[in-house]
Amino acid sequence: MLKLDVNFFKPFIDGTLHTLKVQCSLEAKPGKPFMKGKGPSIDCEIAAVIGLTSTAFSGTIALCFTKPVFLALMNNMLGEKFEEITDDLQDGAAELLNIIFGHAKRVLNDQKSYDIQKAIPTILRGKNIQTKHLTSGFSIVLPFLTDAGEFHIEICTENKTL
Amino acid sequence: MFDPSTRILVVDDMMTMRKLVSKVCKELGFTDFTEAADGVKAWEALTNANPPIGLIISDWNMPNCTGLDFLKRVRGDGRYKGLPFLMVTAEAEGHQVAEAVKSGVDNYVIKPFDKDTLKSKLEAVYAKLAK
Repeated sequence: MLKLDVNFFKPFIDGTLHTLKVQCSLEAKPGKPFMKGKGPSIDCEIAAVIGLTSTAFSGTIALCFTKPVFLALMNNMLGEKFEEITDDLQDGAAELLNIIFGHAKRVLNDQKSYDIQKAIPTILRGKNIQTKHLTSGFSIVLPFLTDAGEFHIEICTENKTL
Repeated sequence: MFDPSTRILVVDDMMTMRKLVSKVCKELGFTDFTEAADGVKAWEALTNANPPIGLIISDWNMPNCTGLDFLKRVRGDGRYKGLPFLMVTAEAEGHQVAEAVKSGVDNYVIKPFDKDTLKSKLEAVYAKLAK
């Protein structure tokens, strides 16, 4: 039987807020998390996805943006004005997820000894991307609000101990 | 203090991170950059650079030749033993840092990072080299 541990999600929220503040000079506010499919619909035009592998659980994390929000983050992060998401620029979504994942991995491995393994992100681009996590576990959506708009992180895990 | 005229080799497989590192370095006054997308290309850039590279800022996780492999290659060549080498990583854990230090890294920066963080790391690197 799966149980939710809010402490599991906190490092991802903290990592996201810190990463956006430091790397993109953008203050974000966390919204109320909800189970995927049981909350508002989500617009997504670019997503970075990374696998979660540990001795305790497996799963995926997706960092999802609309085009305007992603471009606003990249404009702030790189100090240039971008009008379109190019193949080079899409790396930025993967890098932001790498940083957030790195923060959460470090905290969770230190505090909970989850032994989360290093992983490489994948990028998805398109109109109205729908992510479907193929697991019997739960999918939590963590929404974030910024002046540029809303974005979200989806965390899906399948495990024995959470 | 560091010399802003130093030529910096920025190594990262992601264009956005190379741009970010260069942007933050520009905020510190640096103006001369060479970029490479992995350790293999970075080695070519390093050995062919004219004027020579004065500082390396390298990502850790890259395909073909990781930042750690590149660091070991740089330190294994007598010409570059004293060349300042800064590692940038999103996943610095104790054993990784220990391995990088053992391999000769001068300092490391954990992402996310800003101008002040990079400045303090560079100052520490150059203070150590001045001793």
